Amino acid sequence: MVAASLRRYRPIIQIALWSTVGIVALVLLALTSSNSAQFDTWRLWVLIGSVAGVIVLAALLARKILQLLRNYRQFAPGARLTGRTVLLFGPLVVLPLVIVYLFSLEFLNRGVDSWFRVEVRQGLTDALALSRSALDLRMREVAERNGRFAASLSSLSDRDALLRLVDERRDSGALEIVLYDAGGRVLGASTAALTLTMPAAPDEEVMRQVSRGEPFVSLEPQAPGQYLIRTAAPLGHAIGASDRRFVLAVHEVPPRLAALAEAVQTSYSRYGNIDLLREPLLDGFRLTLTLVLLAVMLAALYGAIFSAQLLFKPIQDLMEGTRAVAKGDLGTRLPLSTRDEMGFLVQSFNDMTKRLRRAREEAEKNQLAVENERARLAAILARLSSGVMVFDHAGVLRTANEAADAILGQKLADRIGKPLHELSQDGDGSLLQPFVKLLLKRFAEQHNDFREQLDFQAPGGLRHLMCACVPLALEADSDALPGHVVVFDDITALLTAQREAAWGEVARRLAHEIKNPLTPIQLSAERMRRRYLGVMTGQDAEVIDRATRTIVQQVETMKRMVNAFSEYARAPEVTMSQFSLNQLVSEVCDLYRPQNRAVTIEVDLDPKLESIEADRGRVRQILNNLLANSQEALEHAATGRIEVRTRRIEGESAQFAEIVVADNGPGFTREILDRAFDPYVTSKPRGTGLGLAIVRKIVEEHGGDIVAGNRASGGAELRLTLPLLDAGRMAAARERRNELRKELA
Amino acid sequence: MIGLKSVATRPFRVRLSVSLWALLAIVPAAPLWADALDGQFEVRSAFINISSDVYLLHADVQYPLSDDMRQALTDGASLDFDLQAAVFRERRYWFDNDVVNLTLRRQLSFHSVSNRYIVKEAGQEEQRSYATVEAALEDLGKVEAWPILTKPQLTAEANYRVAVRASVRRGKLNDALRVILFWTDDWQRSSEWYEWSLLR
Repeated sequence: MVAASLRRYRPIIQIALWSTVGIVALVLLALTSSNSAQFDTWRLWVLIGSVAGVIVLAALLARKILQLLRNYRQFAPGARLTGRTVLLFGPLVVLPLVIVYLFSLEFLNRGVDSWFRVEVRQGLTDALALSRSALDLRMREVAERNGRFAASLSSLSDRDALLRLVDERRDSGALEIVLYDAGGRVLGASTAALTLTMPAAPDEEVMRQVSRGEPFVSLEPQAPGQYLIRTAAPLGHAIGASDRRFVLAVHEVPPRLAALAEAVQTSYSRYGNIDLLREPLLDGFRLTLTLVLLAVMLAALYGAIFSAQLLFKPIQDLMEGTRAVAKGDLGTRLPLSTRDEMGFLVQSFNDMTKRLRRAREEAEKNQLAVENERARLAAILARLSSGVMVFDHAGVLRTANEAADAILGQKLADRIGKPLHELSQDGDGSLLQPFVKLLLKRFAEQHNDFREQLDFQAPGGLRHLMCACVPLALEADSDALPGHVVVFDDITALLTAQREAAWGEVARRLAHEIKNPLTPIQLSAERMRRRYLGVMTGQDAEVIDRATRTIVQQVETMKRMVNAFSEYARAPEVTMSQFSLNQLVSEVCDLYRPQNRAVTIEVDLDPKLESIEADRGRVRQILNNLLANSQEALEHAATGRIEVRTRRIEGESAQFAEIVVADNGPGFTREILDRAFDPYVTSKPRGTGLGLAIVRKIVEEHGGDIVAGNRASGGAELRLTLPLLDAGRMAAARERRNELRKELA
Repeated sequence: MIGLKSVATRPFRVRLSVSLWALLAIVPAAPLWADALDGQFEVRSAFINISSDVYLLHADVQYPLSDDMRQALTDGASLDFDLQAAVFRERRYWFDNDVVNLTLRRQLSFHSVSNRYIVKEAGQEEQRSYATVEAALEDLGKVEAWPILTKPQLTAEANYRVAVRASVRRGKLNDALRVILFWTDDWQRSSEWYEWSLLR
């Protein structure tokens, strides 16, 4: 958060920082310029700071230029605009600076030269010489007078000489006249001062001069603007005597002359002082100017690049944003830094990306809804018990559900995208091939909307499909040709159930209608037999006997038949229990072995088949019916053989027990095979035709399945499967079947 | 009356500055070792004595003398001769604290009309004149009984160090010109610090 704020306000911080540095530098300059003591203190730091500042500026500028070049080469957004701007405005900044710099240098050279003209120097030197001449003249006068005065004292004693000192001072206008002995001790003095002070001892210069017997004269400047002429003369100097005493007189230079001389001195000194500064001053100005120019130029260039980058930052952001949008990142939002035209542009860009993002979100939502709808449709299709196949206008399979796979016996998911004529050559042995051929035929006949029952001959018997085909409804503005949706159901079981229900009803009515008169008929026949057989003789008795016996026998037969019908129609409750199927099969086979020695029963039991959950009595009935059928089929065979096999089958969601009963008899005829499980269908003269019908009924009550067929080697084969332990599934299957049956009834 | 002037520079600071100068190699060190002021330049001796609770500094400074300097003086230049005296209270874990930091400034110039060298105390009218520059420098090199410290300024348990340094620079230069000249002015030089412990 803080980092983001810093990044956002970075330009402002940089500007503030550099402004602060500039202000501090100016304040330091002002302070140091106005106070030499401050300058002495800060001069080194100012120097280091200045040079370091220039170096830092140069480094920053170099970094900026390198960054600019790198961006330029990498085609970074805004780099070319920035570079072009810097190239355009950089010279505009630098050129005037260079011109001002060169002009300043030239001005300095000419200006400083004009300050130190040779004429000025010469004039001052002449004035100095003139002043010296005037003062020398005065000094000479004073020295000569003092010399004469000293000579006049040479013959006098100290006491007399002292009296002359006063007169001489008054006459000559001297400030002070002192008589010293050879050692510099004061012998006598006369002074113009009102206070009586002891004259100072003569300095070394005086003593050195007079000790050599020579006069001394010097001009000593006194502040402010006063000059004293100090002159000393030995008393014996004029006459060559050995008197070592000397007189020192101090005269004041007349004020007018002193003032003039002081003025000349001041001017000469000041000029000389400044003249000495000429070269250093020029160098200093040049260096200062150069440093200032460098600093300003670097700062200006840096500022130009910085300003250009700042100016083009929104454009750079816009370009980066546009690139991001082009790459699909619609979440890009640009920082709104200003309220000007660029700000308006940025705002517009942000609005545009916002709208685009919303549109895309809407499209994604719609797409998701479509996907969900498609998934829902696929789920519905998958859960439909009806087979559904969708073909496009070219007859290419586009969709097929799992129920279609189950009904047609082929996995259609692998055949999605294949046209109908390819599918018609596929799926050998399954319903797919005849089904697709039929569809091709219908489509060729331009039958796009039909509903009809289709019957197919399958290995397990006749299969009945209820098929409906409708053309796909397309949108009005679509140019594509319509495809077809084909919906079909396997109604074989439905038709069977219908038949079963019908036959059950028939059986029930038959049993009810026939069974009732059978008992009176039988009783009547037996009564007739008892009453008339004993009283009749001969042929009559024989007729009665034969007729009543026939009636009773036929009634018994009819009773059996009616009971069988009743058994078929009756649907007793199934009592489920766990038992060993192999054991039950063995028991039933053992019962049938002694009945017909000519028929061998071969049992092959799967040891993995441990137990089954079923109605033991009804499973026994299945086995009885199948074995009885086989034995009856082998009645006329020389070497009959019945094979009974059990096997455990692992299904996808459940385990099954498979029971196969096969014989080497004549097998099913074609007509019988199609309707083998229908009631009253039999090839035996005395059969009721209910055996296999009851078997299938029991098998279906257990949620199993049964298939009848002929073996390749000859003979019939009944193959049935029963679920092992999935009681829930069986119960559901039973429930469904019962409901169906009730509806049909 | 001796003119006193407070200057904030310190010996260690100057050493640091010189080191930085050399390290950075930013500018030539000409201002510190000028040709014009070439020659022996040192504080030959210095000591302090106490008189009536006042510490008096005595120093003998050897100032450089060259033909350039002689010529410059003759041409009208004036030079400032500073004697900087500082007393530091030594501290073990921090920088030393300066108790006093004083500068005694005197000016030397050549009086062309009288052909004499003038020595003048800064800020005073009194002046002395000499016939030769040697005599003038001899006078400038002698500092006697300069009161720099009083006893109440010292604490009993602390140790003190005295440092004396002389420097020469161009005189009579206004501050603006001094700023301009500071790149190129070779008329500026300072002696090494002369240091000793203050005995009480």
